[in-house]
Amino acid sequence: MKMLFTAFCRRNLALAKLAIVTNLEYRFNFIIDAFIQPILTVGVEVLLWVAIFNTVAKTADATGLIGGFGRDSYLAYAVWAPFLGRIAISWMYEAMMVEEVASGSINTILSRPLSFFEYYLSQTLGYKVITTLFSVTVPIALSLYFKLPIHFDRLFGAFLIVVYYLFLVHTMSFIVSALGFYLTRVRSFTLLKNLSLTLLGGELVPIDLMPKALADLLLTLPFTAGVYVPLAYITGRGGSELLMQGFISTTWGLAVAGTVAYILWNRGIREYTGTGA
Amino acid sequence: MTLLMTQLSKLKKYSVIYNAFFKASLVADLEYRLNFVVLVIGEFVWYSTQLILFEVLYRHTNIIGDWNIDQMRVFIFLVLFVDSIYMILWDPSFSAFTDNVRKGTLDLLLMKPINSMFMLSSQRISVSHIPCFFITFAGLFWALGKLPQFDWFKLLWLILLIPAGLSVVFCGRFALNATSIIFTRADFLQYIWYSVFRLGLRPDAIYSGFLRVILIFILPFAMVASIPARILLEPTQAWMIAWALVLPFILFYLLKKYWNFCLKYYTSASS
Repeated sequence: MKMLFTAFCRRNLALAKLAIVTNLEYRFNFIIDAFIQPILTVGVEVLLWVAIFNTVAKTADATGLIGGFGRDSYLAYAVWAPFLGRIAISWMYEAMMVEEVASGSINTILSRPLSFFEYYLSQTLGYKVITTLFSVTVPIALSLYFKLPIHFDRLFGAFLIVVYYLFLVHTMSFIVSALGFYLTRVRSFTLLKNLSLTLLGGELVPIDLMPKALADLLLTLPFTAGVYVPLAYITGRGGSELLMQGFISTTWGLAVAGTVAYILWNRGIREYTGTGA
Repeated sequence: MTLLMTQLSKLKKYSVIYNAFFKASLVADLEYRLNFVVLVIGEFVWYSTQLILFEVLYRHTNIIGDWNIDQMRVFIFLVLFVDSIYMILWDPSFSAFTDNVRKGTLDLLLMKPINSMFMLSSQRISVSHIPCFFITFAGLFWALGKLPQFDWFKLLWLILLIPAGLSVVFCGRFALNATSIIFTRADFLQYIWYSVFRLGLRPDAIYSGFLRVILIFILPFAMVASIPARILLEPTQAWMIAWALVLPFILFYLLKKYWNFCLKYYTSASS
């Protein structure tokens, strides 16, 4: 039993390392992915919020608050939301998983002593860890420079929920790729899923600003655990009860997605005829 | 006269080729129908998110930058309209560009007896964006109709302004793609593009000082929708019209120079 577990850990560590090495191979690519893109995205969002609050200051609202929160709170949101949003979404590895099923190259993984789910989960986590380690310097530096209201002591809890949420994201990627057994071309599902997650997760629009009924509904769904919940936790909009709610909703999200994935995969793999060499 | 005939003949040749590209793209897109339908829905979701963002923000403020919600809707529909044209005409080809460089299939495209820039930008057309084109066009008219005393003759300026905006998007994306020839594997240049393009998705009024000057004259993303929206919504400023007239020529001249420069670095990756 112990040997099985050791083999499992070593195998997955090797896969995570593989993802890290692959992504660091082309350094120019990596620098853009880890630094340039987050800086540009954050810059545009910060400018939008500065413009909004400049207008609020000039016009009616004497409190200078929007939805109960001030300028610095929204700037903190604008700085951290794109960063968390990038961690909590899977484009590259989902595209690779879909391609494996569509092209038939999945055969090479199926014939190995590891699962397709595990193979890509470890790689996704490895990739996310390495890009996060580098790109987290951007929001931290900006938060310190602009003295934004960030509870740095809560960062660990926030990252913990994002990592947990990544399991849900990966299970959804697994569902999309399993659909490839039935539909062949499923790339558009990735687009639709990821755009929906961006909207439902609170990356684009802070959930506090949405109409109350809609905000309450979104908070009960697991998708806010990727961006809004960790962000609300580190900016002080919510406390540990919100974080706990995020963990619970992600857990039932995982249960539902896991069940769907299990059914789709098992039926699909039975019907699948390998065409790869 | 002979020159004119030659040009007309060239135009006819390229029209025939483009027609063939369109038919091939249509067949390819419609081959997997569910995928196509989901793609169309996905594009609507993306366009809706841009609208929803500002609709939500205007629940909490009356003005952002210089515009109220009715004016902002004109801007948003305009930017989405221009984006839909760009997506239909060029995005699929540009998205495949870095792969062509990495896998060596660029050789095959460069060898064709037609303009290489045309070949690399127009080979694939996104049919799934065509519904978005019509919806955003209708949305633009709806938003303009909500403005009090809008001078509908001002819409004629769009005949000049939309091509100018498209030239910014085309040249910007093509230049970024061309850079991948130098770096061989530069997939993330595409992500840079999406980040930079966000500058154009926001009204220029949110940028101030030097940054605004950059966005109008150096990285002229303001031409995509901000300047056209200002011409529609505010008294016409002559310098904006003049800039819209001159800009495409400058951009295409620079792009051609840059493309030739990048091609010097091209080392075929195929066997």
